[in-house]
Amino acid sequence: MREAELENALRLAAEEVLEKMFFVQPLEEHSGGADDSGTVLSAELTFEGAPSGSLTLAVSESAARQIAADFLGEDEGGVSDRKVQEVVCELANMICGSVLSRVESETTFRLAAPRLLASDERRLLPESADESAVFTLELANGSLTATVVTRNLLCPTDEKSAF
Amino acid sequence: MAYRILIVDDSPAMRAFVRRVLELSGFDLSDCFEAGDGAEALTLLGAEWVDAILTDINMPRMDGEQFLARLAADDLLRSIPAIVISTDATHGRIARLTALGARGYVTKPFVPEELRDVLERTLGVADA
Repeated sequence: MREAELENALRLAAEEVLEKMFFVQPLEEHSGGADDSGTVLSAELTFEGAPSGSLTLAVSESAARQIAADFLGEDEGGVSDRKVQEVVCELANMICGSVLSRVESETTFRLAAPRLLASDERRLLPESADESAVFTLELANGSLTATVVTRNLLCPTDEKSAF
Repeated sequence: MAYRILIVDDSPAMRAFVRRVLELSGFDLSDCFEAGDGAEALTLLGAEWVDAILTDINMPRMDGEQFLARLAADDLLRSIPAIVISTDATHGRIARLTALGARGYVTKPFVPEELRDVLERTLGVADA
């Protein structure tokens, strides 16, 4: 898989999921990371298959609350913090599944349950990524950044005989 | 005719969304039950009859594949049509779930009309 293919799949997946399931129209796309000057909610899930890897989603707290309200059909002020966290995890799950189905439709993946990241767990990219893609969207109340990294855990053919 | 539907998903947010989509889409819904995984769904099905089941795949305790297998092995429950709702649109997964007895497959993301159409087609509403 090429990084350009991964980036394109991530962009299409994020836009389609936000539009269809969360009724969110992104304002614009930009190439930099999310503005993390405010509170950010982050969720991560790992996947196993060919390739294996992880997807991390970082959403401004205000944008996450708006997304959760739209998803659940509730008033923004009435959505509890727990519900906002659940929706961010579900959003990460949907984007991840959609990305993987786009890049490897013949492979069956196993997705772990999404989990919220504590602030000290957040990082832009892991050190051991083979390929990665980052996509940031500006939303009405903040921004959303999705990062997907893949790791090829298989040994190259010429190294297999050494084990 | 109004239908009784069971939603099986470990995400409370997703269950709430599916219930809302069913209500908004114009689907004729009389009762909507919820379960957090396949095991909880089987317990509920011991007490309540439903017309169709909407189930996720990745769940703790008993996942969607195990749940479908348990439904297929039960003389009574195998007649309830089960539709999978999942982010996983890979060919292998869809083929395996269909072989296990899934009568429909809805890939997330979806618009409300897609879910209603699959449900109505599975229940034979469109032919009524």
